[in-house]
Amino acid sequence: MTPEPAIKTIGLTKHYGDVEALNDLDLTVEPGEVFGFLGPNGAGKTTMIRTILDLIRPTSGDAKILGFDSHEDAVEIRNHVGYLPSDVAMYSNLTGKDTLTYFANLRGGVDWGYVDELAERLHADLSKKVGDLSSGNRQKVGIIQAFMNKPRLLIMDEPSSGLDPLVQRQFQAMMREVAGEGRSVFLSSHTLSEVQRAADRVGIIRHGALIAVETVSSLRSKAIRRVELQFDETVDGSAFEAVAGVRDVIVQNHHVTFSFDGHMDELLAVATRRYTLMDISTQDADLEEIFLTYYRDEESTV
Amino acid sequence: MLANVFTKTSRDRWIGAAIAGGAISLWLLMGASIYRDIDLSIYTDMPEFMRNLMGIPEGADVGALAYSVILGFAGAVTLASIALSMGSASIAGEEKVGTFGLLLANPKTRTSVVVSKAGSMVFLIGAASLILWGGGIVVPKMLDFETGGMFLEAIIFHLFVNALFYGFMAMMIGAWTGNKAKASGITAGVMVFSFFAVGILPLIDGVSGLARFFPWYYFDSSDPVMNGVHWGHIGILLGLSVLFAIAAIVGVNRRDLREHTAGVTLLDRLRENPRTRKLIERLAGSTRVSRIWIKTLSEYQGLIIIAGYTMFLMMGVMMGPLYAFIDEALLTFTESAPEILLAMTGNADLSTPEGWFQTETFSMMGPIAVMLVTAAIGAKALAGEEENRTMGLLLASPIKRSTIVLEKTIAMLYGAFIVGFLTFAGVALASIISSLGMSMGNIAATCLLMTLLGLVFGALALTLSAATGRVRIATYGTIGIGLALFILNSMLPMSDSLAAYAKWTPFYYFLGGDPLVKGLDWVHAGVLTAIFVSLVALAVVLFDRRDIKQTG
Repeated sequence: MTPEPAIKTIGLTKHYGDVEALNDLDLTVEPGEVFGFLGPNGAGKTTMIRTILDLIRPTSGDAKILGFDSHEDAVEIRNHVGYLPSDVAMYSNLTGKDTLTYFANLRGGVDWGYVDELAERLHADLSKKVGDLSSGNRQKVGIIQAFMNKPRLLIMDEPSSGLDPLVQRQFQAMMREVAGEGRSVFLSSHTLSEVQRAADRVGIIRHGALIAVETVSSLRSKAIRRVELQFDETVDGSAFEAVAGVRDVIVQNHHVTFSFDGHMDELLAVATRRYTLMDISTQDADLEEIFLTYYRDEESTV
Repeated sequence: MLANVFTKTSRDRWIGAAIAGGAISLWLLMGASIYRDIDLSIYTDMPEFMRNLMGIPEGADVGALAYSVILGFAGAVTLASIALSMGSASIAGEEKVGTFGLLLANPKTRTSVVVSKAGSMVFLIGAASLILWGGGIVVPKMLDFETGGMFLEAIIFHLFVNALFYGFMAMMIGAWTGNKAKASGITAGVMVFSFFAVGILPLIDGVSGLARFFPWYYFDSSDPVMNGVHWGHIGILLGLSVLFAIAAIVGVNRRDLREHTAGVTLLDRLRENPRTRKLIERLAGSTRVSRIWIKTLSEYQGLIIIAGYTMFLMMGVMMGPLYAFIDEALLTFTESAPEILLAMTGNADLSTPEGWFQTETFSMMGPIAVMLVTAAIGAKALAGEEENRTMGLLLASPIKRSTIVLEKTIAMLYGAFIVGFLTFAGVALASIISSLGMSMGNIAATCLLMTLLGLVFGALALTLSAATGRVRIATYGTIGIGLALFILNSMLPMSDSLAAYAKWTPFYYFLGGDPLVKGLDWVHAGVLTAIFVSLVALAVVLFDRRDIKQTG
């Protein structure tokens, strides 16, 4: 028996009046992978998550979670899913421990040894009232709440907001461990670096539509980046413009700067053929540049 | 003073002041029209301490009664309460929700914010006082009664200054502690305590002079309706208000501002104490969060305790001796009271203990107490969790939406039956203590019907909450529909041809069968139960169909 996909949506569409929040979304998340769901604010990431969790109902289309129908089998699905909402709100008059007990009771119990382990790894204080915690510390309680039942699928909506870098790294390790056990993580985010660090594959969403699904490595190779080359003499920029994938060349005395999404060996061959290369630095393109790249690709294929 | 802080505060609060001014003016109109038609001796012959408490002058006529009872008592308490709530919200309230820091991120001093808030409070209390002044002028003209020799301006001015006193007191406490609950709680305590002290102390030989140590003394001991403004008393209240204002400015400037906090309850303190931790941990912690309905019920324990306590003690136990006390005067009241007033209290025969309890305990206060609990739980049950954005997490658990609706309904059932049972206990105890000889079975029947009536309106709130996800719609919808049905049920029987239509309101099935005298009508109980069950079923269906809101 082949394992069911963790998430499979077919033509998932959600309209709010005239607004198309989700538009014909086809997406598959495999067991054992961390799937990054990348898009700017308002792209439809949260709408998609709330739809597959049966909090809101699709205008058309279907979603299957772990092989179950998202609406018909909603209760069964939630037995196997851990969920962290974006900008998580909890009962401010309960302590972290009370909050976890409440949700554990609704699930019929939890392994408290595992909860303590999670709390220790994230440096979470469960004895304080949730309303007295900073947003980052509240987020930790939310993360523990999602992880504590060892669900087959974790759905996390902007989970890293408010977490300091050390805790973020711990949290990413926790997600990798989940995938290592054959379970799945659906990680929604608007930061490329976060998704790149944790995910195996990435889906890019904009204006409610899925633009592309890529493995992280191909996203990396495809992604444009800013490249800065430094030489020991003044150089001629036109030599670089000829290289495939180079755009927007700027020459300043010994420095050449440009956007690049081609093959690095071709670039280096050109750079070292005539001149002496002193230094090279590259910088990841930001999300907006990647979207522009994908838009260009989409338009060119139409 | 910051014009925009002043404007925003006034805009947020004007409706409360306007409603208070308008409602008390209306009350003045209703009250005076009743006073005009009845034998006033039931008021003037009251025991002295009750007259004193209500501020009724000896030998008062219609005008004096209307001015001193409605303006001098209800008006004074209402205006002071509004000032008190504005005062406590002005600094501590903004701290509690975490907006004070945001306000102070602008290049403005703390002092200027406090002054603007104070300005807005003085402005709105002044406006409400002006509305009352207008009511005091118009009502006697409409009803054509004498107000000669009375000082309307004086009582209004006393009202205004008195309200400011409590407003600034609350503002000062809030400014020093940053705790809104403390600010309003302590001030309300001072107000209520001094109100009673000033009413009762003068009647006790030897200690009557102590009354002057209580602030309410400076409001009405000089009887401003009859004697005009007492500048000495006004001076004391104003002087103290100015001191409070200065203290508020000093307090807010020297203190660390608080961040948004969840607040500390008595249970939390006990939980931190090592000696009580184990027991309280169970009560406040693991037990409280063991089921949805238990957690919901625990959130409303304060309201249930207050409603239950009021019904048990004030509307139950204490009504027994009071009946024995004013038995005689009531006979005259029944003969002379206007028909509408009697209709609203169910046309009860006040000369019997059953009639007395029906009028005092069951006709209004009882249903209101149960409905307060059921409607609060019903309205916030689903919509409240949606507006606080906790519904998403709750629904991430493997439970059906219908389970959530039903668990919330269970909490509502418990709340209603606790209040219903305490009412029964109070009235039964009153009957036993004062040897009124009422039937225990009939009291139980009446309390059961009252509980069911409350559940009907709780289920209505739940249905509106399930359908809209908005607490305000559920709350105001229930209050509006409830009030309309109550008035219909009171008015319809006055017309012979329309009397039968009263059966279309749920109120009819509460007192329509005269349960305190005749016992339980099973059909009536069945009708109320059927409405309750249908509304809950409707709530389940409506909630199951809807998109859960993400934000409030």
